[in-house]
Amino acid sequence: MKPQANRPTTLAAITDAEAARFLHRAKFGATPEDIAAVKAQGYGPWLDTQFKSPRGMSGAAWLDSQGHNAVTKEAEYFNPTAGDFMIWNQLLAQPDEMRQRCAFSLSQFFVISLNPIDGFWPPYIMAAWWNVLLDEAFGNFRALLEKVTLNAGMGMYLNTKGNLKEDAKTGREPDENYAREIMQLFTIGLYELNPDGTERRDANGKPVETYVQADVTSLAHVFTGYDHDMSRVKFQRVAWQNYPVLSTEFTSDPMRFEPKNHSNRPVTFLGTNIPQGTPGPDALKIALDRLFMHPNVGPFFCRQMIQRLVTSNPSPAYIKRAADAFNDNGAGVRGDLKTVWRAILLDPEALAAANAKDPTAGKLREPVQRILGWARTVGFDPGDGKYKIYNLSREDQGIGQSPLRSASVFNFFRPGYVPPHTAIAKAGKQAPEFQITNETSVAGYINFLQTALRHGNWQFKPTYLALKPIAHDAPAIVQWFNLHLAANQLSPATCTLIETALATKGLTEASPDNEKLDMIAAACLLVMSAPEYLVQK
Amino acid sequence: MTPKDLHSVITTPVSRRAMLKRASEIGFMGAAAPLALNLASMGDAAAATAPGDDYKALVCVFLYGGNDHPNTLIPFDKVNHARYMGIRGGVSFQRKDLTATALVPAGKQVLTDDLQYAFAPYLPRLKVLFDGGKLAPLLNVGSLITPITRAQFDGSNRALYPLPPKLFSHNDQQTYWQALGSEGSTVGWGGRIGDFALSSNDQALLTCISASGNAVFVSGDKALQYQISPSGAIPVKAIQKLEYGTPAISEALHQLITAQSGNAFENELGIIARRSIEMEGIVNGALSKVELKTNFDSVPGENSLADQLKIVARLIGARKELGSRRQVFFVSLDGFDHHSNLSQKHNELMSKVDEAIAAFYVATVEIGVQRDVTTFTASDFGRTLVNNGDGSDHGWGSHHFIIGGAVHGGKYYGTAPHVSATTDDQVGQGRLLPSTSIDQYAATLAHWFGVPASEMATVLPNIGNFQGRNIGFL
Repeated sequence: MKPQANRPTTLAAITDAEAARFLHRAKFGATPEDIAAVKAQGYGPWLDTQFKSPRGMSGAAWLDSQGHNAVTKEAEYFNPTAGDFMIWNQLLAQPDEMRQRCAFSLSQFFVISLNPIDGFWPPYIMAAWWNVLLDEAFGNFRALLEKVTLNAGMGMYLNTKGNLKEDAKTGREPDENYAREIMQLFTIGLYELNPDGTERRDANGKPVETYVQADVTSLAHVFTGYDHDMSRVKFQRVAWQNYPVLSTEFTSDPMRFEPKNHSNRPVTFLGTNIPQGTPGPDALKIALDRLFMHPNVGPFFCRQMIQRLVTSNPSPAYIKRAADAFNDNGAGVRGDLKTVWRAILLDPEALAAANAKDPTAGKLREPVQRILGWARTVGFDPGDGKYKIYNLSREDQGIGQSPLRSASVFNFFRPGYVPPHTAIAKAGKQAPEFQITNETSVAGYINFLQTALRHGNWQFKPTYLALKPIAHDAPAIVQWFNLHLAANQLSPATCTLIETALATKGLTEASPDNEKLDMIAAACLLVMSAPEYLVQK
Repeated sequence: MTPKDLHSVITTPVSRRAMLKRASEIGFMGAAAPLALNLASMGDAAAATAPGDDYKALVCVFLYGGNDHPNTLIPFDKVNHARYMGIRGGVSFQRKDLTATALVPAGKQVLTDDLQYAFAPYLPRLKVLFDGGKLAPLLNVGSLITPITRAQFDGSNRALYPLPPKLFSHNDQQTYWQALGSEGSTVGWGGRIGDFALSSNDQALLTCISASGNAVFVSGDKALQYQISPSGAIPVKAIQKLEYGTPAISEALHQLITAQSGNAFENELGIIARRSIEMEGIVNGALSKVELKTNFDSVPGENSLADQLKIVARLIGARKELGSRRQVFFVSLDGFDHHSNLSQKHNELMSKVDEAIAAFYVATVEIGVQRDVTTFTASDFGRTLVNNGDGSDHGWGSHHFIIGGAVHGGKYYGTAPHVSATTDDQVGQGRLLPSTSIDQYAATLAHWFGVPASEMATVLPNIGNFQGRNIGFL
């Protein structure tokens, strides 16, 4: 797998545009330093460097450093908004950028959302969740699946927290939420897949369902008996309320298993039997192993990761090569995520020159990715360092998307979304990001850019250090943005259109700084509004 | 939000009793009284539509997540209420909490097992509408391909008795409710109804409108979804004026974002931007002339459903200016997947539904189109009657509401299910086996809207599988 995947790196020197294109997949931004590093090291070795690079500051440590752990009568411990500041800080500023990018992709497969998280310390709940994704982004899918299952925030989001065994007296049955979604969304999906991700068909040509309701109802028993672990929590009495304030350990400790709340009924799901009375932790291991070993996981997971990083419509052969890497990293290990990222990013289909004749090549850059790529590439001054960037989910006033703010466990958009009445639909193709694209969002996004590109957001300001010296030279700034933000995807005609318009600013080398920033922001607005930039190819 | 709000709203679980107490303090019927007054004073005086004012609209209110129907329309008579309490355990309402919203249907209607229902205590305004004959509950409606019995459901003859794809799954059942197909469908039945109305409207693009996010419901074979925000159409400000640009830069921006391209993704972005820019001036120009007196914010707290229905009401108010004669709207509210903390969270959402739908009805009265606008609810699925501790799980059939001046309301439609987790009208844990199909529900609405009977199978391909295409609530 590895030698073949690495081959393109040794065939020819990597151009600036190729390096930028690669970086827009592996990370968010593509600074001149990034481009130089990829060209010097080659794709494969550069990835190895990223896999070994040190971790940034954790979300929880950052929240602490900003005083968000303070216990005061303002009761900030109930306020979720620092959760937004935390995730924006992670994605915009932490140095382990590739790990952040992979975690962001994982956060759209294993979804929890800050929206309904309540109670004590929602920002810390989200920080602990983000840490799980970062911890295992370069780890193993099986370990990740277990950490996801026992995470305090996931426990709240899909109700494993407090899930109790059946009770004949009250008619209570175990909660089915996690049992359903771990199968439908986090591992195997609805239908049996071939190794290349296409659906298997039965003798009548119908897709074959992976599970039925009875599997869900039975598997639900495995996830009973869990609750937040309060064993390290300190209870602080305070004057302004009549109940104590909890310390934050429960947000990051895996959920605790309580045998008396666990169902001892026998479980049968996907043809696997877990005998009556199997201890809870053993039952969990059997269940997670069964799901992890299902042949669907590789193609189901890899297709969606390819969609997040490279293209909306990977070929079955591409999916199969990535799934093969998931199934075996070359050393007999299943679920090795470093191998998966390598396979996705170094696949010949990914690295081949964009086929200009393919009308459905590429993917729509998601709004969060556009903002992160911009900020990380042009540079910024965080001002007071508080990263007071709020939930940007509104289409009319925000960008129609905000990290860790999906409206439901089904992510911001579905992997199989087909925009009606489009050439994309006629070609039988999919375009997930178009599910959050409409008359409102296209206008709202450009309006958001209009302010942010010039003035930043709160105290967060773009610096454009590399651009200020060339601000008077319209072709030079367009060329800079085209390479670093768009991997030279803007056509010569588009560049000329933008340059001609910018020339009307009449800027000279002697123009004052604020006029130079006006010029740079105007250029950036034109580039980042252009469909040739918005579609990543 | 102030710390006090956070304390009471977000953190400490407010007990149901405390909520009911608080509700009774502000006076539920008190809260609904202005509505009753509005209906009495404005009702029939304004009802006569002007000659030539030929207008009809359908408004789909989608409750995302699967509304808990057992706590929306609740068994109230002693016998059935006791059954409900026995199965629901801790997530049930006491009978005494339901007396104010107990329903007495017109004409002494008798239901299965002599069932009598009450609305959730948080639906006082909807009760006023029911009592006034403007609201009809449709009982146990859901996704079906053909009528099916419990035995056929348990059997394996899927050739004769096919099932809708992926029952109990959110995204698939949302899509089935909206498009009678599974995820990835590109044509919804609201859009197909809209296909018949395109030529009725001066602006064909204003036939099928979502004030929520993208929704396949309002995408037809020909009709496109037009999306509008609660604050109206959003202008791209920089193409008019960019404070740090020049007129040439604004012009270049306009040209760039509306350009055609050989790449389908790029080209589609250009198409959406063109639609957005072209309609913005027309829509906002017309909206600026509409002033509604109806209060959509009578209850403290945000209500995104009320915000969406308000822009729908304003668009209807601008119908003459826009040349709109037949329209299909889509609005939604998130958060109905109450696996836990059902008692508190569901009550909060019921209050929002109550405020939003009642205000919208009052607005149609204000505009004088209450007989021309029919609102109806939909949701992923119903939920289990059996409780899972403090919530309920994904079900199938559910109860829904149709609201409007043309509705023959104040009584029930469909067949009431037994209050049971063992009878044959459910498939386990009280998951209702639907006795009425979405297709029949839709056909009744489509017939009222003006879709000819001969075309009903185009809109609803499976309608021929069902006896009775008109349930009669309109």
